[in-house]
Amino acid sequence: MSRLNKRRALQISALATSAALVLAGCTSNGTEATATPGDAGQGNTTATIKFWDPYPQYEAGGDWDNQVKSCAPEGSTIERSSAPQTDLLNQLTSAVKEGNAPDVVLLDNPLTPEAASSGLLATAEQAGVDVSGYDANLMGPGIIDGVAYGVPMGSNALGLYYNEDVLDAAGVDPSSIKDWDSLNAAIEKVVASGSKGITFSGIAGEEGVFQFEPWFWGAGASLTDITSDDAVSAGQLLSDWIGNGWAPKSAATDNQSASWDLFLTGEYGFAENGSWFAAPAAANDGFAIGSMPIPGKDTAVAPVPTGGEFAVAPLQSNDASDHYANASAVISCLMSGENGSVTSETLGFLSAKADVRAAQVAANPLWEPWVPIVEGAQGRTTDLGVGYLAVSGQLSEAIQGALNAEGNADAVKAAFDNAAGL
Amino acid sequence: MTAISQRSAASPRSLDAERTASRKKRDRAARWAAIGFVTPLALYLFIFYVFPLAQNIVMSLQRYDRGSFVHGGAPFVGLDIYREVISSSTFWPTVAQMAIFTLVSITVQYCLGLALAVFFRSDFRLSATLRAFFLVPWLLPVIVSGTTWQWMMSADNGVINSFIGLFGVDPVWWLSADNALWSVLIANIWLGIPFNLVILYSGLQNIPESLYEAASLDGAGAWRKFRSITLPSLRPVTLITLLLGLVYTLKVVDIIWIMTTGTGTSQTLATWSYGMAFGKGTSGVVRYSEASAVGSILLVVALAFGLLYIVTQSKESD
Repeated sequence: MSRLNKRRALQISALATSAALVLAGCTSNGTEATATPGDAGQGNTTATIKFWDPYPQYEAGGDWDNQVKSCAPEGSTIERSSAPQTDLLNQLTSAVKEGNAPDVVLLDNPLTPEAASSGLLATAEQAGVDVSGYDANLMGPGIIDGVAYGVPMGSNALGLYYNEDVLDAAGVDPSSIKDWDSLNAAIEKVVASGSKGITFSGIAGEEGVFQFEPWFWGAGASLTDITSDDAVSAGQLLSDWIGNGWAPKSAATDNQSASWDLFLTGEYGFAENGSWFAAPAAANDGFAIGSMPIPGKDTAVAPVPTGGEFAVAPLQSNDASDHYANASAVISCLMSGENGSVTSETLGFLSAKADVRAAQVAANPLWEPWVPIVEGAQGRTTDLGVGYLAVSGQLSEAIQGALNAEGNADAVKAAFDNAAGL
Repeated sequence: MTAISQRSAASPRSLDAERTASRKKRDRAARWAAIGFVTPLALYLFIFYVFPLAQNIVMSLQRYDRGSFVHGGAPFVGLDIYREVISSSTFWPTVAQMAIFTLVSITVQYCLGLALAVFFRSDFRLSATLRAFFLVPWLLPVIVSGTTWQWMMSADNGVINSFIGLFGVDPVWWLSADNALWSVLIANIWLGIPFNLVILYSGLQNIPESLYEAASLDGAGAWRKFRSITLPSLRPVTLITLLLGLVYTLKVVDIIWIMTTGTGTSQTLATWSYGMAFGKGTSGVVRYSEASAVGSILLVVALAFGLLYIVTQSKESD
């Protein structure tokens, strides 16, 4: 390339780059003014209603899919699509930015304050969603600065499942497990009898933190200080399990589904997992599965985090009232009256309304051990609100460090002390 | 005399002027045609390369959170984000891990690829079939190979631990925080060998057999032939293979993410940026600005190696 052409090429590329930078700077502004404030009462339902949920495992034609589509108002059809939790929130973020958000989204409860304070959601009032009758502790994550943004679909909770055959063979009586010491003793007996101990999920991210919180709160720790001795003792508990070989090393990378699969092999005595497995557990072939509350350090029932999604209406830019009318129709169909009970049963949740919950338990006795667990459940975002996600990230780093420490007390303490920042 | 010479001197000059004028017209027409041909490509490059790149840099100069990403109004903070990222306790360990991952990966991939290519040079029965088998890592979707490696490396009942147990070696926790880097390295090397094999094999085909024959006549052994004929002849192919491998490996996210979600020592700048951009990995907090900053740093590193290649190649062709 001759000198002259080289200079020309340089000039042109410099021009192009600066043009691009200017353009990028000017157009990086997203939806400028706030969207047209709509109201569900003033809108009409549209022909197609978009519904997003975080259950990609429930396929088209299945129970949940049919339940959702049966709630389409007269003259409308519901298009349902699913994505995992974090992806769903990111997709919602982009959709609201572009102005073509779906009508209804089921958002994981620790993500709801984040979504609301980022301006992604319409208030429950705007969207015509009835918020009466829900338990206060379950409604908590959906109320930011006194304003309600949606309703809880129901609550799932964590419990301790056990393999009745393995416990029988080891001579362990499940009702003797009242605190951490008795639990450790029981696991030790199970391992001595030739089986493996306990499965749980310690995967990096919110899922692992969700599974850790019953031990964390059971030790008396609080999310406002994750470096306290109580917090470290909870980490030490899990770390010792790994170090003693009582829990699989894959716990550091297993999600709850993988952890359940390990338990279903029949080799493990205990599994910490969610109430969404209660129905399959009751119907399990091969061996009988029982469940009990997760013990606290010195108490029989540790507080567990409230699980479950919130039904929310995203903020709309165009035809807002019509979209909110859609949301109002679908959400009230799913959550009220008889259908509310069906929705909860289909998802494997206990209803967030006390009366519906009582009816659920009466109809299906397998929920009985879960009722005290759900009623004692604690919101993850209650103390920290929007700040929960950052603390959860730090706690996840600490958990990963503790699990990798394999029982080494200094390393566990260091993991909790150093869990910080980026 | 002067009149004649003047007249004869004038006509070639005016002929010249005519020729220059028509040539200028042709040149202008040619230039417009050139611009017309280049415009679609330039437009494509602008929309899909320059604009997102500029957007990325602008994003790293403003402090974004989810709210300002959607509704605008992110404050301009200049180089603060870069300062925070570089001074964070994660940065330098991550860079070191990325350096180890990349350099060890491409070195071992290259050496093993070259060894296999030389091996396959000597045609034997079923060599084509065997060569096809060696392409399998390249052809499998990474989700399949990544999940399989994770399964094989399971600490408690993985195939690898069972195998080394046969030789009396204690089981290794392959995916622990400390060992994660070496585990993903092994998987990445396995993934990259076919690429090196294919390119180096075709490079070897271009070396004339006569060179080897002449060397044999002079009494050179196999190693001497390799060192003095094969390696120098492969120099341009080597350069391009290493560069492509390097730039590709710098950006690798999939195999690491599938096996370990970037935990422990397997964190590289690419996986760190990915986790921060989408709120994945340990923290669910989305950090758009920090992710853009790390992405820009990664780009600069890749660019540096690209320039190194250009310099080396132009020296080569001189």
